[in-house]
Amino acid sequence: MPKHIIIDTDPGIDDSLAILLALASPELVIDGIVSVHGNVSTEQTTKNALSILELAKASHVPVYKGCDLPLVKESLISPETHGDSGLGYAQLPEPVTQPKAGHGSDYIIEQIMSRPGEITLVALGPLTNIAIALRKEPRIVKNVKEVFVMGGAIQHTGNTTALAEFNTFVDPHAAHIVFHSGMPMILTPLDVTYQCIFMKDDLDRLLKIDSPITKYISDSTRFYMEFHDEYQGIEGCVINDPMTMALTFMPEICDYQDLVVDVDISTGVGLGNTFADFYNYGKKPKNMKVAMGVRPRMFMELFLKRMENLCSKIR
Amino acid sequence: MPTRIILDTDPGADDALAILLMLASPEIQLEALTTVQGNVNLEKTTRNALALLEFLNASHIPVAKGCSTPLIKPPHGEQGEEVHGKTGLGQAILPEPRSKVVEPHAVDYLIERFLTEPGELTLFAIGPLTNVALAIRKEPKFAQAVKELVIMGGAVRSGGNITPLAEFNIHEDPHAAHVVFNSGIPITLIPLDVTYKCLLTAKDVERLNGIDSPIAKFVRDVTADYMEFYLKYEGFDGCALHDPLTVAAVIAPELFSIEKHYVNVDISGGVSTGKTYADFMKVSKKPANMKVALGVKGREFVDLFVERLESFCRSRL
Repeated sequence: MPKHIIIDTDPGIDDSLAILLALASPELVIDGIVSVHGNVSTEQTTKNALSILELAKASHVPVYKGCDLPLVKESLISPETHGDSGLGYAQLPEPVTQPKAGHGSDYIIEQIMSRPGEITLVALGPLTNIAIALRKEPRIVKNVKEVFVMGGAIQHTGNTTALAEFNTFVDPHAAHIVFHSGMPMILTPLDVTYQCIFMKDDLDRLLKIDSPITKYISDSTRFYMEFHDEYQGIEGCVINDPMTMALTFMPEICDYQDLVVDVDISTGVGLGNTFADFYNYGKKPKNMKVAMGVRPRMFMELFLKRMENLCSKIR
Repeated sequence: MPTRIILDTDPGADDALAILLMLASPEIQLEALTTVQGNVNLEKTTRNALALLEFLNASHIPVAKGCSTPLIKPPHGEQGEEVHGKTGLGQAILPEPRSKVVEPHAVDYLIERFLTEPGELTLFAIGPLTNVALAIRKEPKFAQAVKELVIMGGAVRSGGNITPLAEFNIHEDPHAAHVVFNSGIPITLIPLDVTYKCLLTAKDVERLNGIDSPIAKFVRDVTADYMEFYLKYEGFDGCALHDPLTVAAVIAPELFSIEKHYVNVDISGGVSTGKTYADFMKVSKKPANMKVALGVKGREFVDLFVERLESFCRSRL
């Protein structure tokens, strides 16, 4: 039985690769995609989601537009990481398909409430839509199957401030709502994603297949690799979101700890910092499983093989 | 042309009095209520809204049910029952309402109403601002569609009534207040600085009860515990007409002295969380985002309140 997922996402280069990985994986069925602000504006992330689906001949997957501002903080987007379009140097045609009518947060509520226990949420961007859904319909907590979240940096340094990871920094208040909601949650923080670097060699292996998708991966990740080189001194690029997607069907890639995790919303220097109370000083119940150890090669092989399969099918 | 109003409310003793005053004022056409948790929990505020409208023969006014918790903070729980009584309406006992809330969530109801008639409707918010904040975030066009927003909340120069610095409505959902204050909606703020100057006394209530009317009796019952609370905790005889005073922004604006300021709310999580502050000296160089009532002819307002209710009671005999 494949897992039914809704992807809440801000494509974004690594988001687009996560969507491709989901499409390439028979273990998953994407019921829908909800767009959110983050890497670029919601206008653009919505367009990018539609374009990626068209590229992979999967435009049957509905896309719903979500929030274009964080819950409380001012907007912050990251074109220096993902390019002005959000997809690096890739230039995909204007999508022909349109987003569906209705707000992304309402789509999430409606799907979860009409199919209790069946929907897995995969959140790859700032958590604004999911936070709003929780406040509008608190019963989704008991009716969602599980929530996979890419975000946070537990013992790892931040990638947006010294302490904070991008998704939780952009909307720390939404993260606070989601983390404390009581939904079953699996967090993929930078602690594991920064162990898995997509290298030039990996790209060359994919480029042996002549497909519009390999060309897309090449054009988008070239920009992403330049960013990682310039800003973080990393050769290759970190593909956070595909790693989160992989854990939905191949959990053995990571080792997990059950932890009490919170996010700093106090507006000081630690704003957006995701931290674990390892010794449980706060005596609170554990609120999520956190991926803290990873088998990088196992993930990268999975990602490359799935991409090779997908690219061979779509020429 | 009366001012067309949608009221976001958490009834609440003083909310009930504000609803009464609105219905008693020909300058106002009350078109809908949206409910929010605040003074008491959402089930109770919603029940009270419906029951009150039925009691006043106004159940043609739709009620939409809103948020049961603040955006980020946990709700304050049952503390409010000490001020507003177990039901939220003091000692008043209203029959279980037969009418039901309308289908959409208050957030969507607000979005739908304001976007259908952009610039036509005035929003009054006299509870925590959770519903309004979510409407702003969910629908980017919402802020521009609101003609004016009158808020009961904040303590600008005056002390707080829930912490030494913060007023209840704002403190209950400071993050929502932050969203609303910075949304660009034209706001008029009615803070504690003015509401504490409008004290309804036992004598005023008795004057109203010179008319033998179920509405006058309701006012006595709904304010009884409320007055006791003020006597016990704040040491004065009478109760502050916080929420009803917002209505003066439409029916008697001349009673206020109003200043335009940049006003914001502290969401830093420290001792001043929920504190509403004005940049009087313009040190932030930010443009004014609201009109703030900083002075009021308090007794004149209370007299007006009693007169309006007297006429209302008489008209319903």
